Amino acid sequence: MKARVTTGIQFLRRMSAGGKTGAFILLAFVFVAAAASIISLHPHRQISGPPLSPPGPSHWLGTDDLGVDLWAQICHGARVSLIIGLGTALLAGLGGALAGILAGYAGGLTDAVLMRLIDIMIVLPDLPVMIVLAAFFGPSLMTIVIVLSLFSWVHTARIVRSRVLSLKQRRYIHAAETFGAGMVYLMHRHFLPEIFPLAAVSMIRLTGRAIVAEAGLSFLGLGDPTSRSWGLIIHHATNFQGIYYTDFWTWWLLYPWLALTLIVTALALVGRDLEKMADPRMMRGHGKPI
Amino acid sequence: MNEKNQFTMLKLENLNVTYNTRPAVRALQDVDLALAPKDTLGIIGESGCGKTTLALSIMGLIRNADISGRITFRKQVLTDMRESTLRRIRWRKIAMAFQNSLEVLNPVIRLGEQIAEPMYAHFKLSAREADQRVAELLELTGLEASWRHCYPHQLSGGMRQKALVAMALSCDPEVLIVDEPFSSLDAESRHAMVHLFQELQERMGFAMILISHSLPAIQQLTSRMITLYSGSVIEAGRTADMLRNPLHPYSRGLINAAPEFFQYKDLWGIAGEPPVAGSIDGCPFYPRCVQRDGPCKASRPRLQHVGIERMVACHKGGIETVLTARGVIKTFKLENQTITALDGVDILIRRGEVVSLVGASGSGKSTLAHILVNVLASDTGEVQFAGRRVTGHEATARMGGMQIVFQDPSEAVSPRLKVLDAVREPLDIMGWADRPDRDRKAVNALSAVHLPATPDFLHRSCHALSGGQRQRLAVARAMATDPALLIADEITAMLDPSTQATLLRELKGLQHTRGFSMLFITHDMHLARKVADRVYVLDHGAIVEHGAAFDVFDHPRSRHTHRLLDAAFDHDRSIARATDRNISGWEKS
Repeated sequence: MKARVTTGIQFLRRMSAGGKTGAFILLAFVFVAAAASIISLHPHRQISGPPLSPPGPSHWLGTDDLGVDLWAQICHGARVSLIIGLGTALLAGLGGALAGILAGYAGGLTDAVLMRLIDIMIVLPDLPVMIVLAAFFGPSLMTIVIVLSLFSWVHTARIVRSRVLSLKQRRYIHAAETFGAGMVYLMHRHFLPEIFPLAAVSMIRLTGRAIVAEAGLSFLGLGDPTSRSWGLIIHHATNFQGIYYTDFWTWWLLYPWLALTLIVTALALVGRDLEKMADPRMMRGHGKPI
Repeated sequence: MNEKNQFTMLKLENLNVTYNTRPAVRALQDVDLALAPKDTLGIIGESGCGKTTLALSIMGLIRNADISGRITFRKQVLTDMRESTLRRIRWRKIAMAFQNSLEVLNPVIRLGEQIAEPMYAHFKLSAREADQRVAELLELTGLEASWRHCYPHQLSGGMRQKALVAMALSCDPEVLIVDEPFSSLDAESRHAMVHLFQELQERMGFAMILISHSLPAIQQLTSRMITLYSGSVIEAGRTADMLRNPLHPYSRGLINAAPEFFQYKDLWGIAGEPPVAGSIDGCPFYPRCVQRDGPCKASRPRLQHVGIERMVACHKGGIETVLTARGVIKTFKLENQTITALDGVDILIRRGEVVSLVGASGSGKSTLAHILVNVLASDTGEVQFAGRRVTGHEATARMGGMQIVFQDPSEAVSPRLKVLDAVREPLDIMGWADRPDRDRKAVNALSAVHLPATPDFLHRSCHALSGGQRQRLAVARAMATDPALLIADEITAMLDPSTQATLLRELKGLQHTRGFSMLFITHDMHLARKVADRVYVLDHGAIVEHGAAFDVFDHPRSRHTHRLLDAAFDHDRSIARATDRNISGWEKS
């Protein structure tokens, strides 16, 4: 345990200033999402004040057209964003990693079939298909996670596959095979630990993409209407006639947008640092792998 | 030997000699031997194996011992004879040149008189005739006749040896037994002595039993030979065959330790000590043998025919074969051409030998290695390990199987693993024993290759090791499985000369004490010459030459081997010449 803590500290130390900022922002969002019901003074689904009141002491970020507190909505929206982001990243990252390992290690027909499938997925314009799928399956958090994952696993799979292909030719893998190691042993002892940093980077990126994609779908009205996600707040705001002729947008549109931008930027910053660290050449250079 | 040779002149049947010392020493055990007129027989074996006892018992000179069995000379049974009858045959018919030492000759009697002694006994010559004959004999052996007036201590070792030969030949015997005639001679006198024996044997036509440690002399002077170990004959055959292709691990050990044959190889004797004669019930070589097994401990193997004129006393019928590959063909298809990497390769590796596979880069050495351990599949051909066809990773995925150590140390072990985990990995995968045993085994393997076994080192990541350390780690990892065959694929190619030397010595030391077989793959002829017992030369995917290392390196038959050797060794000579020039130029200036 102690060792883990020290590795964690070392890990933080090696991040750049940008990376640290990103990590801090992410942690803040995680905190906000976790403690949403405690830190928001008002309920996020009920009217708690006059409609369209600007930010003030009772409503820190103002209220929407129904008089629901915006701060409460954003705090709870963070939950949705994080669940969607992390859920998609986990699902797509794991699925992609497994598919990549399978394609790379098994080779032959399995590889060919998987690679053609990936080619098709890349060529397909994802947003229209997502709209169709979301409309078809009906809006719910689960559906959105699955739909997003369907389109996100391919990148991870491609990266992992190419890494496995090169790993497979390593002598120590051959050696393990001559000792009689099977696919399962190689997977958990050699491939997964080697691939984990790469997959992690890929997953961080996926998180960002997924959050934006969910916001996009919600903005288009295809999100879960009960979820109160940031995209949905923006959807309602832009649907309010006359939003652009009044100064309501300075809180109703600005704050959800700011939250979205902040979290995506933070993810990008952290992702960039992780990528540097996961690069095996840089890893060797430091002489201290994680 | 039991051959029913009608021309057999001297015959030993079931000869046993037990010295009546305390405890009794069984010096010879069931020795059978036959010698025809003009036959030449070499006897080899370590000191104390019974060679001299054998010679003395033929001469009837053994005292304080129980002798059983029969020695027959021309239908007369020597073992039944009374001493007085025996004297008529000794020296007259069967003579012996004793191992040279000052003790053999009486220091206060002149040489001439000592040489003449047997002649007085057998021919009743006058003093004048005897003196005349002594002068002739001395000249025959290449000594000046005037030496006969000197005392033994006035002669050099080589001269005394010649005098002893003259003495043995004084009565024109039919059988001459020579015990270690070369041990006290320098190279030149040794050479002269070998010639002398050749000449004398041709001229006088005696049959000869030569006891010697000098294998080249045995090679030049004898047509048949036997190996004696702990009082038993353990191998017999034609000299040329036996030296080239010994069938008993002990004979092989003796030959491999001969610096005359392996001029550049590191010298390694046979591990262990010979047992006190007769102290072991089973095979006397059991404690030192590389292929010992249950039955070897239980009973003494009998000398049995394994070919024409070839006999060996081994429960396994001689040195076992560990690995064979037959007709291995491998082609690689590139975009628009097919490359034949291996074109029908046959290879054979036996127990406990170091076989070197040499060849230029790109000749297919590594491809062959990978096919042998089935990392790569061959197009056609068959590989057998321990008598079973290699399929899947069955042969490598077990304890006591075969193991490969790859060329590149940086890739040999996963940089991510900890040292202990890396060494334990094969045991983990094979599921051998339990965790503490595996750890112990891994630590032992690390110590065997002289890597530290401190907790700090055991938990270091492999990527933090140097190239040499990593390669040693790879060797330790293979060693942890107690392999019967280790395939070392260019394992020192990426190491500096000092690390290379250390690693090779450690590896050879391990091979020597544990007795596994090794296929040492290298493009470096210098290294191959240093370690190999046998050599295969690979060129463009085909074996162009193979054989005992001394044959291939000293008398290459294939043009390609010539080229390889020339490139390796002439290049060195030209470097040496250049250095000489530089040094002389520097001295002048």
